[in-house]
Amino acid sequence: MGLPNASGDLSTEVEVDAFRRLFPLRFYEKHLLESIRPDARPLGRARETTIALGAVASANGSALAKIGSTTMLAAIKMEVMTPSLETPDEGCIGLLPLAARFPVSLSLLKTPGRPAEAAPVVAKQLSDTILSSGMINLKELSLVSGKAAWMAYLDIYCLDADGALFDTALLSAVAAFSHLEIPVVSLNDDGKIVLSEEQGLSDREPVNKEKRKINLSSVPFSLTCVLHKNYILADPTAEEESIMDTIVTVVLDSSSQLVSLQKPGGTVLAYTSAIQDCIALTRQRVKELQKILEEAISGMEVD
Amino acid sequence: MAAKPGSAPVTYSPNLGQKTRPPIFKDNDLDWVRPDGRGFHQCRPAFFRTGAVNSASGSAYAELGSTKVIVSVFGPRESKKAMMYSDTGRLNCNVSYTTFATPVRGQGSDHKEFSSMLHKALEGAIMLETFPKTTVDVFALVLESGGSDLPVVISCASLALADAGIMMYDLVAAVSVSCLGKNLVIDPVLEEESYQDGSLMLTCMPSRYEVTQLTFTGEWSTPDINEAMQLCLDACNKLGKVMRTCLKEAASGSQE
Repeated sequence: MGLPNASGDLSTEVEVDAFRRLFPLRFYEKHLLESIRPDARPLGRARETTIALGAVASANGSALAKIGSTTMLAAIKMEVMTPSLETPDEGCIGLLPLAARFPVSLSLLKTPGRPAEAAPVVAKQLSDTILSSGMINLKELSLVSGKAAWMAYLDIYCLDADGALFDTALLSAVAAFSHLEIPVVSLNDDGKIVLSEEQGLSDREPVNKEKRKINLSSVPFSLTCVLHKNYILADPTAEEESIMDTIVTVVLDSSSQLVSLQKPGGTVLAYTSAIQDCIALTRQRVKELQKILEEAISGMEVD
Repeated sequence: MAAKPGSAPVTYSPNLGQKTRPPIFKDNDLDWVRPDGRGFHQCRPAFFRTGAVNSASGSAYAELGSTKVIVSVFGPRESKKAMMYSDTGRLNCNVSYTTFATPVRGQGSDHKEFSSMLHKALEGAIMLETFPKTTVDVFALVLESGGSDLPVVISCASLALADAGIMMYDLVAAVSVSCLGKNLVIDPVLEEESYQDGSLMLTCMPSRYEVTQLTFTGEWSTPDINEAMQLCLDACNKLGKVMRTCLKEAASGSQE
């Protein structure tokens, strides 16, 4: 690495560690000169990413997403609600626009033991992204027009935090929605929606025909980059995020259309070219993530 | 999306009406089979793994059947100034449920007492005098509740403490027994717990053969208590061995 006299004995190792703690920025800059990061990644590469679907059996859809050691568990529970009357213009059809108060209730991101100040920021960003990406057609969540509709409660828990919280949260949410299975329900005599099998109403016509999946039309994926001088570091760790504080988050959907772009302040002014580079990196990353998600889904179907 | 706070629509879960469900055992106790096909005195297979959370000083994940628990330990860190001086360490425990842990959303928050029970179960096993003036935080999160949650949380927490390098006299293993009619079933699942006439939970330090916590609820006869305690002690012994193996594996894995 960029340090002289790296003979590998204990004393140098201790010195490297001390140097890293005392002068974190210089430590990083020495690495950046060599176009490498302390965890041996090139600047533009994201960490290893895994998705496990169906991690929680008590939810209707769930997924565990891991980027590096940042781990998020997302789960969706379907409940029934009475849709509101104040539907602007589509109320006539009766497929209910849940749009006004969609689903995403995010009691999100409580890493135990940490003041979760990042939580509300990520939660807002996430619900904006999921809603505006048009990933879910809310009309699919309607059951009986004007009477009942699904409320999909999405909850995300942060089990381990090491940078790129938003990316992991979005990935876990998307994966949970693609794992979601809507239960078969029918209307009982009291006008309530109940599970068909459990209530012995299997002879009655179910309100929703078979076990349905939600169609995800355009799936959003994101990549967070850290800017420092002319360098762009993709998928930063918590250490990198704390040392170099200019963060750019780009969200693209599966057809490479821009969904959202965020640069919440920071000391570095981002030039157009830097932003374009970030978007190019994200485009690559979207392909990677799509492949990972597809593999996870096809892995589930084999079982 | 200007959803006003407080204007959230009232929702209900479609699987609420479980009253019509037939009881899991009929009048004839002997022919009854447990929902997961186990013997009455047979525990669920236990899976433990340490080091699940990198940002914590120590952590452990436990899975018994569908009960899934993750525990992270932070510290020892300096106690808050507001606290009185103490020459022994403090232990701070918190047990929480995810909103999707229980069959009906958000029901898991009823278990406020679990935090203090976890604290009391662990307190006796930790050498608090080895970290004076400091606090150790234990955060347990029940990812999925499948019955016997508290015993799993306690066993998992002691493993996480060991992973964090907190000095303990011994690991703490916990097992519960439910009394259903004339039968004693060990390590009950959620369904059995909802029908139980009484329950007993025993937490102990297996190699010292010392009990740190023992709780009874419900209706028990003296011979039943004796039998249940013996069952729990044996099961704790076995569970302790599984936990020990997990720690050994983690230690030998990190040396390589």
